[in-house]
Amino acid sequence: MTEDQPRDDHEAQPDGGHTHRSLTEGATTTSTLREFFTRDHLPPMESVQRWLLTTNHKDVGILYLVTSLFFLVFGGVLALLMRIELLTPVNSVLSATGYNQTVSIHGLIMIFWFLSPFAFGFANYVVPLQIGAKDLAFPRLNALSYWLYLFSGVLLGISFFQGGSFEGGWTMYAPLNVPSYMPNIGSTTTVLALLLFVISVTMSSVNFLTTLHRMRAKGLTLLRMPLFTWSILLTVWMMLFAFAALLAALLILSSDRILGTTYFTAEGTPGSLLWTHLFWFFGHPEVYIVFFPALGAMAETFQTFTGRRLVGRKWFILAMLLVALQSFLVWMHHMFLTSINLEIKTLFMATTIGISLPFDLMVFSLIYTMVKGRIRFTTPFLFTFGGLLVFIIGGITGVFLGAVVLDYQLRGTYWVVAHFHYVMVAGVTALIGALFYWYPKITGRMYNRRLGKATFGLFFVGFNLLYFPMFIAWETPRRVFDYPAGLTPWHQLATIGGFMLGVAFLLVIWNCYWSLWHGEKVEGNPWEYATTAEWAVPSPPPLENFPGVPSYDSGSLDFLDETPEASTDGGTAVAGDQTHESGDHHDSHASPWPFFIGVAALVFFLGLSGISTGGIYPALTIVGVVFGAVSLLGFGMESFSVTEPELGERWPFEGIENGKLGVWIFLASDVVLFGAFIGSYVFLRVGYGWTDWQLVPHDPIPGLINTYILLTSSFCIVLALVAAEKNSRWGLIAGLSTTLLLGVGFLVNKGIEWVELFHEGIWLSSNVQASTFFLTTGLHALHVILGLLILLFLIPRAINGAYLDDERPVEYFGLYWHFVDIVWLFLFPLFYII
Amino acid sequence: MTSTKLYTVIYVVLFGFATAQVALEFMGLSYAVAVAGILLLSVIKAVLVAGYYQHLLYEPRSVTYVMISGLLTAIALTFAASYSIT
Repeated sequence: MTEDQPRDDHEAQPDGGHTHRSLTEGATTTSTLREFFTRDHLPPMESVQRWLLTTNHKDVGILYLVTSLFFLVFGGVLALLMRIELLTPVNSVLSATGYNQTVSIHGLIMIFWFLSPFAFGFANYVVPLQIGAKDLAFPRLNALSYWLYLFSGVLLGISFFQGGSFEGGWTMYAPLNVPSYMPNIGSTTTVLALLLFVISVTMSSVNFLTTLHRMRAKGLTLLRMPLFTWSILLTVWMMLFAFAALLAALLILSSDRILGTTYFTAEGTPGSLLWTHLFWFFGHPEVYIVFFPALGAMAETFQTFTGRRLVGRKWFILAMLLVALQSFLVWMHHMFLTSINLEIKTLFMATTIGISLPFDLMVFSLIYTMVKGRIRFTTPFLFTFGGLLVFIIGGITGVFLGAVVLDYQLRGTYWVVAHFHYVMVAGVTALIGALFYWYPKITGRMYNRRLGKATFGLFFVGFNLLYFPMFIAWETPRRVFDYPAGLTPWHQLATIGGFMLGVAFLLVIWNCYWSLWHGEKVEGNPWEYATTAEWAVPSPPPLENFPGVPSYDSGSLDFLDETPEASTDGGTAVAGDQTHESGDHHDSHASPWPFFIGVAALVFFLGLSGISTGGIYPALTIVGVVFGAVSLLGFGMESFSVTEPELGERWPFEGIENGKLGVWIFLASDVVLFGAFIGSYVFLRVGYGWTDWQLVPHDPIPGLINTYILLTSSFCIVLALVAAEKNSRWGLIAGLSTTLLLGVGFLVNKGIEWVELFHEGIWLSSNVQASTFFLTTGLHALHVILGLLILLFLIPRAINGAYLDDERPVEYFGLYWHFVDIVWLFLFPLFYII
Repeated sequence: MTSTKLYTVIYVVLFGFATAQVALEFMGLSYAVAVAGILLLSVIKAVLVAGYYQHLLYEPRSVTYVMISGLLTAIALTFAASYSIT
């Protein structure tokens, strides 16, 4: 690593609030700590501190890549344990529960903690470079996403030491997932680890969407965007909505496990069916979420190594767009063996066959690009080409599963296992190609070419030796360790292939490690026909990427003089006197708070996992809450300067600043979260018999009073914003304070109502009506509490005169608060009146 | 940006509609009509809050489309899942 770019980005801290230039040589521990917390400079790459503090997208990208490769090894070891067990058709090595845990956690790790974050390592590193941005829109949020991802993985690892981890498969089907069947704390920890991961993903989605829509270089219209960036854009749109449904599923499951609600054990309409709907509504888009970045990498490398623009480029983009939309309309093909009705099965069979058509177009586009161009068989190309080949097999075998009648026969067999590994690991194969492709960019050195090609040979043979026999031995039942003895030779072949694939992965990692020191140095662009912007800057790129403001206005990439416009990343507003001479301004690139919030989240969720069992867990929960509150406060108080470029392509979000767009995008995901909660309620009530359903509150009046309270609070926050715009300090304070009081009043009224119900013996676990009432309105109350905490942050600052010159934080808070109000406008009639 | 007077009028309307929702329950209407009326009032209230209090009317239309996309996603899940019940 050679990044010796200027690190003096805070030589003159512009905000006037937290500059500490008094540090001298031989600083004391106190001053070192002060420096750490006030991040006067970004430490060098050799320093551990650098990696704890950094918010720079390239550093975060490297962190994602390294961490995800660790999880690849973790998940890979579990896979090999399975393959060793399957050498014989009877139980031999692992215990029954050990095998179940191995299967489940292998799946969870590979899909959530390896594949997506591996892709997002590249997305973090490459996307800002490809679109001409200095960084993501919210750099600290990006670092926070990473730390939450890392600590969610740590939490998952801890689950093995709490009486065993989750055993119910990566799909976590109900009712197996509830405590009656899986009582150990480790299972709850697994669910909470995934929940924390989803929070990280949601933050990433908001960040990438804002960046991609608001921070493209001038002239870089959406259609001109590089294909890898296109794939990420569509991936994050899918992530935003799909993961919100998973978040709902996981919150409900956590509640069933910790609070005792009875969603997934509900009788009448099976709660298990509710889980499958929620899970697969997320789960099918997830297939494309993990595969699209690989597809983008294929497109990039095919262009570079055939020396030809992708054939049918616009159609390729259109096909990706269609798949992204259709991905939300096929989920029930995972449920053909459940009790859903035949009409809807037929409909979803049609939509499933339909989604294969855009993929055909993309595959042919890639093939014709090879036909029309002249192929250079480099290591990256070999891997992405290999990825395409196995994906074609994966795609074709999937069509069998999309047909209802065939699915009756194939579901629950190794046909499914073989099919989805041919799809998922096709994505991995292409992303290994991406690793070799961007390795020189990231490190400034070339990988070992000969070893790279040899590794591909081993990888490809190992891959097919591992997964193809599973098609032949398709009658093997999934998820269990015994199978008909006649299939043994195929499983033994698969195990040999598995070890070959494992060695190939280790060789990939070794090649990357060895080449850091011994690889041939690369100055800029080692690929003759690479045309995207990341190759127009040195390898590795400087801290702020470009020598000026990138622009495509002239038809090719130019760098203009900088004219920065400073804004904040959710932290302290930057003082108005921070404008420097052209070229002298630097953004912030370091913050300790994302790391601390990550640690707090780990402690909090670990505490939550066993909170009902007592012991150390309640204390851990409290420590997590306190540490989290302090860290969030530090995050909020910190000065953090981010430049929002004046020039750029922003369609279709011109006329709205980054912060506000970020809030709106987050709210869109929250719409899906509450939508999934309300949808669950409607589903269970329809199944129960709509009019037979007894409302839990006996009287609508407390709900009506709370409606009045929230509406009034919404009105007050509007008045607060008007006062801020009119520079009325006391008007602003009055508006915010009244909102706070009304919010407290809402909670008190709700508390009285709940306590009365508890006294009547109605508890969360009483019945499904009570479960849906308490949990859905409880989630809403949690939103109110979060809003009140924000108000407690805003009011003292308003008293000190903040928000009069820049009322945006009040406006952003208002957007959130009104949304909470709108949600109540639907919860009130649904749970109190009809 | 619209005036404080408009915000006040909207507040009064919202307050009135909330009361009307409870009133509808006791008016002796058929269940289906009452439900339709109550939910329609909720939708109108939500549109008023989003349009004026959240200033969605004055933002780029694409922001509205993003929110509608989220809403359609949730509606698709709710209706298809409920319809699937045998």
